[in-house]
Amino acid sequence: MDKLFPTQEIGSLAKPAWRIKAYRGEPLSDEEIAEAIEWGRKLGIENLESLIKVLKKHQKTPEDKKAILQWSALYAIRFFEAAGLDIIFDGEQWRSEMYEHVIRNVGGFKFLGYVKSFDYRYFNKAACINKPAYLKSFYVEEFIFTKENTKKMIKVPFTGPYTLVDWTFNEYYERKVMDQTEDFKQGKSYAKREFIFDLIKEVIRPEISRLIEAGATWIQIDEPAATTNPSKEEMQLFVEAFNETVKGFNCTFSLHNCYSNYRVLANYASQLRNCSQLALEFANRDSTQTGIDEVRIGYNELKFFEDNGYQGNYGLGVVDVHTDFIEPPELVRDRILHAVKIVGDPNRIFASTDCGLRTRKWEISFAKLRNMVLGAELARKALW
Amino acid sequence: MIRCYVTGSLPRPRELIEVTRAYDRNKASKEELEKAFQESTKKVIEAQVQAGLDYIIDGMLKWQDLLRPLTENLEGVQAGGLARWFNNNTFYRRPIILGPLCRTRNIIAKITYTELMPKDRPWKVILPAPYTFVRLSENKFYKSERELMFAYAEILNEEIKNLSEAGFKYVQLSEPALVYNPFEEAIPKDTLTDIEEALRTSLKNVDIRCCLQTFFGDFTRILPEALEFPVDDLGIDLYETNLKELKEYSFDKKGVALGLIDARSSLVEDEKGLLKVANEIIEAIYPSKIQDIFICPNCDLEFLPWERAEEKIRVMGRVARILARGQP
Repeated sequence: MDKLFPTQEIGSLAKPAWRIKAYRGEPLSDEEIAEAIEWGRKLGIENLESLIKVLKKHQKTPEDKKAILQWSALYAIRFFEAAGLDIIFDGEQWRSEMYEHVIRNVGGFKFLGYVKSFDYRYFNKAACINKPAYLKSFYVEEFIFTKENTKKMIKVPFTGPYTLVDWTFNEYYERKVMDQTEDFKQGKSYAKREFIFDLIKEVIRPEISRLIEAGATWIQIDEPAATTNPSKEEMQLFVEAFNETVKGFNCTFSLHNCYSNYRVLANYASQLRNCSQLALEFANRDSTQTGIDEVRIGYNELKFFEDNGYQGNYGLGVVDVHTDFIEPPELVRDRILHAVKIVGDPNRIFASTDCGLRTRKWEISFAKLRNMVLGAELARKALW
Repeated sequence: MIRCYVTGSLPRPRELIEVTRAYDRNKASKEELEKAFQESTKKVIEAQVQAGLDYIIDGMLKWQDLLRPLTENLEGVQAGGLARWFNNNTFYRRPIILGPLCRTRNIIAKITYTELMPKDRPWKVILPAPYTFVRLSENKFYKSERELMFAYAEILNEEIKNLSEAGFKYVQLSEPALVYNPFEEAIPKDTLTDIEEALRTSLKNVDIRCCLQTFFGDFTRILPEALEFPVDDLGIDLYETNLKELKEYSFDKKGVALGLIDARSSLVEDEKGLLKVANEIIEAIYPSKIQDIFICPNCDLEFLPWERAEEKIRVMGRVARILARGQP
């Protein structure tokens, strides 16, 4: 990037009601159709009438459903462009969710049902019951569509192997090793290693290869599970998995990790090879007063990464995705300038959201992103 | 004797999950939710009875996390933000200690479906142990963690007394924090002495069998000191413990709860394999006379979908019976 503080989002954007319902084949209310029209006009979407025609159809064909995915991806692309971001994607509109989307498109897995996350929240957890098999590409078509519909720089979010494995029951490999080992603990650890490296070899690298062939130049590996197991053994496994994933490819890679233990991650960050950027969540930990000194409590952990010798760039989380609070541009500016003070080189800072915006309404997301762009501009001016 | 039981929350069956999700979205009433909890509680109790478990729990389906009933019902503490539950992809609400802990009413006996529990089998109840309660809380009131631990131990003592009066025959104190040790730090001797003392406080003047159940970590971390803890049984997570090292200790004076079923894996265990491991451990830790042994899951089965947990409970029951037959 030839300017300071390029702006980016992390990946997901909420799916509009018209996208969800129409894709499921459910009828839409007038309000939902009106919302599609309103945002369509706001974002300058062409040929809106044909979308509305599809939305109003009672019986939707598979082609209609495909068209709906493409429409909502196009909306998301224009949304990010209109907010003024430098680096974009399609808001992951083609994906049901970061975990399910991949697992459903890969061989060797079976969903077992919902397990508790917390309170009355659950997630659908799969088991690996056979060696993972690459059946078809699961990100490439979405990427090509995005590429054809924007001139902006594209960063492709890619759910990382460590997270996929950590969120999945490991039946196939545990069955394989358990009768060969006396010690359950050791057996489980071997089984996890084998699972991860098979998944990388059989599925992850083939998909990355195809993305690169299709023209992808920047892939962001999403690893929210990275510090779930903060032991040395597990963290080394995570690092090895990342390095194996990106090894030898002619492409820019970065890592996104959020709501994690950054003291732990910082110890290992400098061992990540070919990792041009760490996209980290800080705004969620920070105060909302302006200022570039002590008030910036959320950014303390940035120092750990510097102290531990990490030399790459930061996707600096300056926008909290878990509240409707609209960060004023001045707050964004001060968060960036504070980070510059810690890191020294302003070229290493990209202005980013903490995480994907999928839990926020579009109005809120738009206002947040707009202010992020304005705040980055203020920070640039402050340094001139 | 060799017996068996479960060691924590059971998974909510699918139909209950659906109602809780609907309730969360204001699409089910409180009455519908309550009814669903009762139906599912019956189901998970029946599964334990069918599998031949020797002690029965109500399933703890309502518990949002191990600490929540206390966090929500004791004075001086509030449920805070979400925090990761050890090294799992699940979360609990951190208790924030804002004032002196005070117990103004009976808590666990009140939220347990005792009316649905079988009359002809002994009941078991599960509570957070003192050290774990302290480690998982944010202390904004007491001068030290030690002081908080003893305040909680007093509360626990009152609660256990009440549970004993309510008819429970077995209390498990869940103590994952004592063995969960990702950074491989040694635990100070003084801390272990304090924990022993806090357990003594928790159990003073109560006549109920008690197990200190550890999980998510290597039990050998607290050996040999744990052998002196004032509890009847010691619970060990066999999937996290160095078994070779464990076998070097003699458990002469203690019963053990062997976490032989892996609640964090959906793979249903091979019975033969489990029997082999169990026999080897029993032989090693009881060189002269066998004490009471409980076969159990290594931690809460709620990490699994209900159907898989139920299958594992059945395997556990069978393994315990085969082991019991083989013993004098």
